[in-house]
Amino acid sequence: MVSVPAVQALTLSKIFEVPEREQGLVASIKSLIRRRTRQVPAVVDVSFDISAGEIVGFLGPNGAGKTTTLKMLSGLLHPTAGTAQVLGFEPHRRQPEYLRQITLVMGNRNQLQWDLPALDSFELTRAIYRLPAEPYLEQRDELIDLLDLGGLVNKPVRNLSLGERMKVEIANSLLHRPAVLFLDEPTLGLDVTMQRRIRQFIADYNRRHNATVMLTSHYMADVEALCKRVIVIHHGRILFDGQLSELSRRFSATKKLVVTLARPGDLSSYGDVIDASPTRATLLVGRAEAAQVTGRILAELPVDDLTVEDPPIEDVIELAFASGQPDSVLAPTGE
Amino acid sequence: MRLTWQFLRVGVMNELQYRANFFIQLLQSLVAIATGLIVLALVFDNTSDLSGWTRPQLLIVMGVFTVMGGIIGFVIEPNMGRLMSDIQLGTFDYVLTKPADSQLLTSIREFRLWRLTDVVVGGVVIVWGAGQLDRPVGWLEGVGFSLLLVVGGVMIYCFWLLLTTGAFWFVRMEMMQELFTGLYRAGQYPVGIYPGWLRVMLTFLVPIAFAVTVPSEALTGRLTVGLAVLAVVFAAFLLVLTRLFWRFAVAHYSGASA
Amino acid sequence: MTSQATAVASPSAAEGRLRSYLRLYGTLIRVSIMEQFQYRAANYFYMIGMVTEPIIYLVVWSTIAREQGGTLGGYTPELFAAYYIVWTLVRNMNIVFTPFGWEERIREGTLSAQLARPLHPIHYDLGFFAGWKVVVIVMWIPIAAALFWLFQPELHPRPTQIAVFAVAIWGAYLIRSFLLWILGMVTFWTTRVSALFEAFFAAELLLSGRLVPMTLLPEWAQTLANFLPFQWTFGFPITALVGPITDEELFVGLAAQAGWIVFGAVATWLIWRRAVRLYTAVSG
Repeated sequence: MVSVPAVQALTLSKIFEVPEREQGLVASIKSLIRRRTRQVPAVVDVSFDISAGEIVGFLGPNGAGKTTTLKMLSGLLHPTAGTAQVLGFEPHRRQPEYLRQITLVMGNRNQLQWDLPALDSFELTRAIYRLPAEPYLEQRDELIDLLDLGGLVNKPVRNLSLGERMKVEIANSLLHRPAVLFLDEPTLGLDVTMQRRIRQFIADYNRRHNATVMLTSHYMADVEALCKRVIVIHHGRILFDGQLSELSRRFSATKKLVVTLARPGDLSSYGDVIDASPTRATLLVGRAEAAQVTGRILAELPVDDLTVEDPPIEDVIELAFASGQPDSVLAPTGE
Repeated sequence: MRLTWQFLRVGVMNELQYRANFFIQLLQSLVAIATGLIVLALVFDNTSDLSGWTRPQLLIVMGVFTVMGGIIGFVIEPNMGRLMSDIQLGTFDYVLTKPADSQLLTSIREFRLWRLTDVVVGGVVIVWGAGQLDRPVGWLEGVGFSLLLVVGGVMIYCFWLLLTTGAFWFVRMEMMQELFTGLYRAGQYPVGIYPGWLRVMLTFLVPIAFAVTVPSEALTGRLTVGLAVLAVVFAAFLLVLTRLFWRFAVAHYSGASA
Repeated sequence: MTSQATAVASPSAAEGRLRSYLRLYGTLIRVSIMEQFQYRAANYFYMIGMVTEPIIYLVVWSTIAREQGGTLGGYTPELFAAYYIVWTLVRNMNIVFTPFGWEERIREGTLSAQLARPLHPIHYDLGFFAGWKVVVIVMWIPIAAALFWLFQPELHPRPTQIAVFAVAIWGAYLIRSFLLWILGMVTFWTTRVSALFEAFFAAELLLSGRLVPMTLLPEWAQTLANFLPFQWTFGFPITALVGPITDEELFVGLAAQAGWIVFGAVATWLIWRRAVRLYTAVSG
C-alpha cells in the first residue's frame, strides 16, 4: 500500500521581485513614475517527497534557498509556481488545523516571554494551541525530561544562557506535539556541547513520536548526526537528493590543502586547485590520498606553510558546479 | 572648542545621509506648532489675555518653548541619552581613556541635526509674535533675550546632566528622564499661570521657567533686572554644582571599577 | 503503511471554541500582568510624567474660566479639574500598540513567528495590553488621590454614570486598538507612513476631547467630530463619569462605541487578509 507522503513539493519555485534603485536625484524621481523591478529567483523548480517520520536535512550555503523553501512549506511564503502539500494541506492557506500540526523553529528567534519563567510561556502556548490539560501536561513533562530542563523552566528566560534558552524554546515549540517539524538553523550560535545535546534530542523525539523533521543547516555536523537523507540546495536548485552516505562519499570525500610556497610554483598536478596566486594555493584532494599528497608536496616543493582542513560546503559545491560534472552524477537519486 | 566642532561636523555629515529624516522631523515640528497655535486660537476665542499675557506675548512664549526644545533635541538629549547607555553597557570607560575633559566629551559627542527644524519653526513664530507686540522690540530687549536664552539653555543642560549623572548610582535613570520630558511640556505657557507650588517646582526644581518664560519676558519687555540677575546667578551656581557632582561621580566610578 | 504522528487531540472534542478563547485571554492577561508588575517603577514614572499634560490644560482653561466670571463652555474650574483628573485614567486606557511599531515587527521577523501559529496576532496585542491596563488602573488610584487633594475637583457621579464609565473605558480601549491596528497595517504597503500617522494623531488630539472638552470646540469642529471615532475613545468616557450628562446620552454613547468597535473589527479583518496575502507573497 502506497502511503501518502507527509511533505510533498512539486516544481516549487519562488521568485522575488526586488525594486531596482539607483543613485542620484534623477533616478529617484524616475523611480517615482515607473517602478523597475528585478527578478531574483530564490527557489527554482524544487521537487521532493518526504515520508512520515523521516528526518531530512537541507544543506546549502547561505542564500541557497533553504530558508525560503522551508517558509513555503510552513505557510509563510506564497510560492510563485509549483505546489506544496504538507499533511494534506496547502501550507500557504494557513488554516488553523494545519498550523496546529506543525511547528517552525528558527534559531535566534525568541518566542518566550523574556521576563517570566518558561513555565508561564508554556501556559500561553497551551492556550494558543487549545491543548486539553492531560495531553498537554504529559507532553510538557516529557519534554522537560528529554531536554533535561529541570529547574530551568522556573527561572525568568532572560536569566538563562543562550544554550539553555534554545532548549526551552524548542520545548515550547513542541508542546502541541506537531507531526511536522521545520527547524531552521536550530543550532546556530550554540557551543559544541549544546549542539550535540539538541541533535540528540531531535533524534530521540523523532524516534518516539514518528514526527517528520525538515532541518536546514550549513553545519555538516548537524546533518551527519541526524539525517539519513539530505537534499543539497544551491542557487535555488536541488543539487543532490539522496542518502547521506552517498553525499559523504561524493562531497565530503575531499580535504582542503592551503599551501604557501617560498617561491612561485604550480600545484595543479597535486589536486583540484580552487584558488591560486603565485605563491599560495588552495586545493582539494581526495580524503584517502590527503596524507600522501601532503607528503609529496612537502618533499617536492619549497613550502613555507601548509594546512589541511575539511572543506566547507560552499567550496565543495562550487567546485562540483564549476567542474561541469555530468548532470547524471548530481541528479536527484530519489529514495 | 575645536573638539566640539569636529563632533559637530561628523554628526552633521552622518545625518545628512538620511535626508528623509529631515522631512519627518520638519513634519513633526510643523504639526506640533500647528497644534499649539490652534490651542492659542481656542484660548483667545474665549479671552483677551491669560493671566496678564496677551496673544502676541503667548506666541513668543510658544516660539521660545519650541526653539528651546529644538536645542535640547539637537545637542542635550542625544548626549545625555548616550551617557546613560554608556553607563548601562559599561562603555563609559572609553570616555575616560580619552585625553579630553570627560564632562566636555560626554556633552558634545552627539548631534541630531534635524532637530534644528524646531529652532527654525520656533524662530519664525517668535518673529511673528514680536511683530504684533504693542511695544516694539528694541535692541536692548533683543540682547537681553539672547543672553537669557543662552542662560536658560545652560540651566537645562546642567539640570539634565545632574539627573543623568545620578545614573552612576541608580542605573535605571531613564524613568526620571521620562518624568522630565513630561514636565518640560509645562513650559509651553508662562509659569505665572500655574498655582504657586507648581510654579516653584518649575522654577527651581526643574528650571523650565528660566529656560522659556524668562527669555520671553526679556523680549516682551516684562523683565525686571532683579530676575535677570537671579537667572545669571542661578545658572552660574548650577554650572558649578554640576561640575562638582560630575567630578565626584567620575572619581567614584573609576574607584569602583578599578 | 506508515503511521503518522498525531498532534494532540483536536480541541473541538475537548473544549468549546468560546471557552478556549476565554482561557486564551485569561492566560494572556495573567501573563501580561505578571510581566508589567515587574516594571511597576518604570510604569509609575511614566504615569507621573504624563500627568503634566492634563495639568497644563487644566490650569489654562481654569484661568480663563475664572477671568470670564466663573465658567467657560459650561465648565467651572472645579469641573475642569474633575475632567482632567479622569483624563489621566482614560489617557492610559487609550495607550495601545503604536502604529510605528509595525515596521519593526515586520522587519524583525516577530510577525513571521506569530503567523506560524494558529492564532490571529491581534489577540496577542489585545490580551497583553488588556493585562497592562489592569495594572495601570490599580496604580492610578494613588495618583488620582493625590490629584484630588491638590485640585479639589467637583465629582459626584450617579451610579449609572459609574457603571457606564467602567464599560466605556474598555470600549475606548477596543476602538483605539482596532484603529491603530488599521493604521499600522498600512506599513505592509509602504514604509513612508510618518506623515499619515502624524496627521492622524494631530486630528485625534484636537477632536477627541483630549485637548479640550468637546463643548469648548467651535461648532464646526464638534460637527466634524461626530463623524469620527475619536471622541468616543476619550471625551465620552470622561464625560460619562464627570458629567453633566443625561442617562439618554450615556446610552447613546455606549451605542456609538459599540458601532465603532464593530466597524473597527470588520475593517481590521478585511485589511488583515489582504495584508497577509501581500506579506506571504513578498517576504514571509
